[in-house]
Amino acid sequence: MTEYVNESSRTTMDKIRAVMKEFGLPRLIITAFLLLMCIIAPFTGANFWTQITNVVNRFSWNAVLVLAMVPMVHSGCGLNFGLPVGIIAGLLGATLSIEWGFTGPMSFFMAIVIATPFALIFGLAYGWLLNKIKGGEMMIATYVGFSMVSFFCMMWLILPYKKPDMAWGFEGTGLRTTFPIDKYYGGVLSNFLKIQIGKLVIPTGALLFFALLAVLMWAFLHTKTGTAMTAVGSNPTFATAAGINVDKIRMLSVVMSTWLAAVGILVYEQGFGFVQLYNAPFNMALPAVSAILIGGATANKASITNVIIGTILFQGMVTMTPTVMNGLINLDISEVLRVVVSNGMILYALTRKSEVTR
Amino acid sequence: MNGKNTSTGKKILNLIGNNAVPIMFIIIILICLPMSGFSSTFLLNEIMNRLSRNAFLILSLLIPIMAGMGLNFGMTLGAMAAEIALIFTSDWQIWGIPGIVLATIMSIPISALLGLMCGKILNAAKGREMITSYIISFFMNGVYQLVVLYMMGSIIPITHTNIKLPRGYGVRASVDLTRIRKSLDNVLAFNVAGVRIPVMTLLIIAAMCLVIVWFRRTKLGQDMRAVGQDMEVARAAGIDVEGTRIISIVISTVLAGIGMVIYLQNMGDMATYSSHSQIGMFCIAALLVGGASVDKASIGNVFLGVILFHTMFILAPKAGAVITGNEVIGEYFRVFVSYGVITVALVMYETKKRRAKASMGAQLEAEQKEEENR
Amino acid sequence: MNKRRLFFGGITILLLVAIAACMMVIGRGHTMYFDNKKLEYEGRTIDTIRRINVNVNGEQVAKLSAKDRGMATFTGQTLKFNLEVIRQKGGESEFYDYTVKIPYGQDGMVLNLPAMIEGLPEEAYATVFVPQVVEEEEDEEIVTDEFGMDMDDMGAEG
Repeated sequence: MTEYVNESSRTTMDKIRAVMKEFGLPRLIITAFLLLMCIIAPFTGANFWTQITNVVNRFSWNAVLVLAMVPMVHSGCGLNFGLPVGIIAGLLGATLSIEWGFTGPMSFFMAIVIATPFALIFGLAYGWLLNKIKGGEMMIATYVGFSMVSFFCMMWLILPYKKPDMAWGFEGTGLRTTFPIDKYYGGVLSNFLKIQIGKLVIPTGALLFFALLAVLMWAFLHTKTGTAMTAVGSNPTFATAAGINVDKIRMLSVVMSTWLAAVGILVYEQGFGFVQLYNAPFNMALPAVSAILIGGATANKASITNVIIGTILFQGMVTMTPTVMNGLINLDISEVLRVVVSNGMILYALTRKSEVTR
Repeated sequence: MNGKNTSTGKKILNLIGNNAVPIMFIIIILICLPMSGFSSTFLLNEIMNRLSRNAFLILSLLIPIMAGMGLNFGMTLGAMAAEIALIFTSDWQIWGIPGIVLATIMSIPISALLGLMCGKILNAAKGREMITSYIISFFMNGVYQLVVLYMMGSIIPITHTNIKLPRGYGVRASVDLTRIRKSLDNVLAFNVAGVRIPVMTLLIIAAMCLVIVWFRRTKLGQDMRAVGQDMEVARAAGIDVEGTRIISIVISTVLAGIGMVIYLQNMGDMATYSSHSQIGMFCIAALLVGGASVDKASIGNVFLGVILFHTMFILAPKAGAVITGNEVIGEYFRVFVSYGVITVALVMYETKKRRAKASMGAQLEAEQKEEENR
Repeated sequence: MNKRRLFFGGITILLLVAIAACMMVIGRGHTMYFDNKKLEYEGRTIDTIRRINVNVNGEQVAKLSAKDRGMATFTGQTLKFNLEVIRQKGGESEFYDYTVKIPYGQDGMVLNLPAMIEGLPEEAYATVFVPQVVEEEEDEEIVTDEFGMDMDDMGAEG
């Protein structure tokens, strides 16, 4: 009898410990921190519902960009530090759709349509390159992304865009760094079926759009190709033995990631209300990478749940800390906190011994 | 006769293939040179200035490459240490050469500590040192901001208002270093045909080169090379692999700190929150332009790299302005080239590694077959 | 770690600390301000002098007419300087040599030259320099550049 109790208590303890271990210490700290923020927030004079609205909104902007991490992690290409490659495709779609005179929701749809071939081409080239350098993906992805962004810095200046909403003045010397898109697709998703209860605003359309993509991704991962992708990521040797064309699957995952990044930046822009060109894409990869890691993903394992939890935690941290810190000690260290936490999270993931597969 | 011809042809092709990046740069420079319209005196002066400014920083990258840890993006940590030291010496008003010497000495413990930490983390991430050191530099940038922007002036005493922000804590975006500006460069300096030669700085750089040459021959240097070749073999030979790797990063970080002091005394002005973030990328790009690769770099690569990279840097905006009528294009172009060069070098390194692995695998297979046949 | 190594390591650190301490003393910069101004001291009024030239190390650092202020920067705790005093137009120059010590923690010191020449005690002619506080309305904005894209600081422009 006593033994039985002991055993059961041990198993529950073990279970808790196992859950803790799986959850990971940094994730635990971040969750605790966020909960603490939620509790403190009302005392600093910040409205609770406004805070929630902010977090939900930021979630709806960023979730698709984080989702873009999933395919490449699954196929073993590691964390997609080359996210800017897809973002550039999305920006090409956005600018061309506006340039060619589409407005309203149509411009959003057309932006996706136009971005798709670019995402395919970039994704194929990028995937081909990553297949050549298996094992060194992350570093090279980072620099491919950087090269791409800096190359397009020149392109935004040179390409003959004419639309006065985007281009500089009459001489037409290239595109502006930032321009508003309320005439075009600003808020098309967020304002669709928007629910407003007092101070709480829910951007239903954007959330539904993310849900659609997430479900599609989930469904894909359960198809034959999807399971093959997981197999390639978890054990390439076994996958080859099972007759899976590893290079092809990896290529497919890169193309998917790139396309999702292209769509992701468009979703981000419709929420944010502005298109940001030139150096802006530089800043987009690291937050997305750390968000999915905070959500519990590792360098070679990621699920939709990781995406959702990670984006909520990361965006919660980014949006809550400034208001709370400001209200509390009149000191805004949120920017520093963001840099330290997000990069610390990536470092943590990179140094886990168990996750080193090659 | 014929056979010999093809072999020399192959040799030339090989030579070109191995030095593709420097050759490409020479071509870019040759195209841009006539368009820029700069006088040769101006150019030579600029190159000499930049050579003395950057060479020491780039030399700091050599030792981790020797230890097989790739390009040390963590050199940024040394740069941060130097900046912290310079903030203090400026606040304490230590001027001239003594200011530089003091900043150098003060940067050493900070760099060493940061290097130790970086080395420990990199040991936990073997096989992905570069991406890890790259993320460490971002991570530490956050910590640096925390210290410099929030703790200096509130916890760490900073007295002078030309350094402290008006709000009472934090350091201004730019710290004035006119009191130590070029005080090292000006020692023994003289002009040759309108080109100023900063003798003292060049002597220090030369001394550093000698130290590196000497270091390669010491026991520690030999160990490092062994670790760089093959960690397992080195371990079997009784070398403390982890310790050796940590030492290589600590040395690199300390040298980067000293290099940053030299760099900033030449600039005479310090962008507190951005000087260091660029330094890693530019030094690595310059080294690669000089023909180095991720696993092999020499002192010659450093100097060729500084000269080629910075000549391109000077010429690109002017040439861009001539070609497109827009100087900004040239500025973006040189950023693109810097990133592009690093990308190409990384890709070349990884493909080479894979090819080597594949050929080794094939060899092993062939040997096995032979064994079976017997 | 063997003892020899530890010993040499210790010596190196001590040496570096010693050099650093030395540098802090000889490299400490100060600013000396020279005033040619009227001064009231214990009921005496010391008038300005028509012209004073200040020389440091044989180099003229200031030419002061009445009511002028000049300055010289130097490192270390003592400043030796030479004054050339001309009391009347076309009059003969008088020369004075002085050595002034400045406390380590003090950035700047103001010397009233007429009082010095008159031979008054140090408390009469030397005062601590207090910089004027410039009220700044707003904090400057700190832009942190994570990706090193801002190339101006590279000194790319020369």
